[in-house]
Amino acid sequence: MNNLSRRSFVSLALASTSLLAMPAISTGSARPKVVVVGGGAGGATAARYIAKDSKGAIDVTLIEASKHYYTCFYSNLYLGGFREYDSIGHSYDNLSANHGVNVVHDWAISVDSSARKVRLGSGATVSYDRLVLSPGIDIKYDSIDGYSVEAQTKMPHAWKSGTQVKVLRDQVLNMPKGGTFAMVPPPNPYRCPPGPYERISMVAHILKEKNPTAKIVVIDPKNKFSKQGLFMAGWEKHYPGMVEWIDNDTHGGIKNVNPETMEIETDLDTFKADVACVVPAQRAGAIAMNAGVTDGDWSPIVPASMQTKADSNIYVLGDASVASAMPKSGFSANSQAKVAANHIRGELTDSRVFPAKFSNTCWSLVATNDGIKVGANYKAGDEKIEVVDKFVSKTDENNAKRKKTYEESIGWYNGITTDMFS
Amino acid sequence: MFQGLVAEPLLDGADFDYGEYLSGQCLTCHQSSSDEGIPAINGAEALYIAKKLILYKNKELENEVMQLVASALDKEQIASLAIYFNSLEK
Ligand SMILES: Cc1cc2nc3c(=O)[nH]c(=O)nc-3n(C[C@H](O)[C@H](O)[C@H](O)COP(=O)(O)OP(=O)(O)OC[C@H]3O[C@@H](n4cnc5c(N)ncnc54)[C@H](O)[C@@H]3O)c2cc1C
Repeated sequence: MNNLSRRSFVSLALASTSLLAMPAISTGSARPKVVVVGGGAGGATAARYIAKDSKGAIDVTLIEASKHYYTCFYSNLYLGGFREYDSIGHSYDNLSANHGVNVVHDWAISVDSSARKVRLGSGATVSYDRLVLSPGIDIKYDSIDGYSVEAQTKMPHAWKSGTQVKVLRDQVLNMPKGGTFAMVPPPNPYRCPPGPYERISMVAHILKEKNPTAKIVVIDPKNKFSKQGLFMAGWEKHYPGMVEWIDNDTHGGIKNVNPETMEIETDLDTFKADVACVVPAQRAGAIAMNAGVTDGDWSPIVPASMQTKADSNIYVLGDASVASAMPKSGFSANSQAKVAANHIRGELTDSRVFPAKFSNTCWSLVATNDGIKVGANYKAGDEKIEVVDKFVSKTDENNAKRKKTYEESIGWYNGITTDMFS
Repeated sequence: MFQGLVAEPLLDGADFDYGEYLSGQCLTCHQSSSDEGIPAINGAEALYIAKKLILYKNKELENEVMQLVASALDKEQIASLAIYFNSLEK
């Protein structure tokens, strides 16, 4: 136990001098309050772990706009026909039934960080001792000329939880024979680095079966991407000649998109698509901006705790945070949530605080039974979350190994959704 | 429950609370009941868990994710995880 001994006398002394600042904690008459905004990979995990591990000592309220959470992870597998849409939807019922989390389905509209209150869409306010924000991303609609909220139905991004991916699947299934599917991946940094390329794989998988003369053109604002060698080898193997990936240097930059004519104009050329998936640039969910804990588009955090650099009572998890070396993934958000939960319990109930440990693995499906993965371990540096060690699948792996990797991803999906919602 | 096992050198220094915290990393993937794709480890023998983790750490067992997880665990952390998972219901 040595260096992991109980929280020091100093922090206890500090807690008792802040009687006025933290009435809920120090009077003993009420339980300390944690409010979590956003019930996704980061927020649902944080709410569940704080409530479960504090065994009722902390009052946890989860504010989540939607009644059901449809995971973005595995939404590409739904697109490719490997999963039913219902199988990627999850309810919040167990969080209240099993762990006493007070789940409120509403929008958090604003944060008053000096009064430590969150205002909801209903007009009600909820006060907190510690606030956890895990709102995911907002789409920067104006980052691509011609794109807009209205353009979403014609050129869906399908990059947030919800039914846009159903629209996209219908469009792909109804594409004219020999037509063109265009994909515009987002610029860095964005949620799920391998996601656009898994999506291309899944669209290719449908087209190979149903529309084999169709083409896929990828107009990328980047010159390289995650697991590039593995994806490109996979496309050549399973969908020869179908996918053309054009990097930024080659097309010279995306000038605009036109949802009416379904055109995407670059310096080099104008591409006409029958179906187009356009994923603009992203930023932290609006509530993080409102709380005043962002710098530019994202929220800088203290790596050891996930507290924001701007306000030590506010933690930001997942996509909305600047997690440096850690990618914006569901796995990362879930991992960060456990570090924050442990830290918050320590602050509010004096339980032991252990050193931060982070990890991530992103599995992607390239074709039936052809799974690949990339992963790393991380530690909390003073300023940044730093990589300790990493791995990536190899291009020469045999079919049995790839099948195993895919099966492992099914285990992971069931594991993480259980870890969030059970 | 693990009293008898603590005399086992591989489980020296085991710390239940630390094991509970560290288990968070495992539970992203390992479920309590299903073995689909990834084995369930709840309620497994503590020594079995410790030995497996050491084999992964030494890269004597294959699986990139497990090798990565185990490589970042020291002896005390492995022991702590082993007794914690052993205490969970299958
Ligand atoms: C196509 C695709 C594939 C992906 N595949 C993978 C994968 O295989 N593996 C992986 O690890 N990750 C994957 N991801 C990434 C993963 O989905 C995100 O990184 C993860 O969901 C981030 O978690 P989060 O908690 O930050 O945000 P989210 O999970 O998006 O949760 C945010 C929640 O907050 C709610 N919310 C936001 N603002 C408010 C507010 N003001 N009031 C109330 N509620 C609010 C939203 O409704 C939402 O439910 C994928 C993403 C995409 C788009």
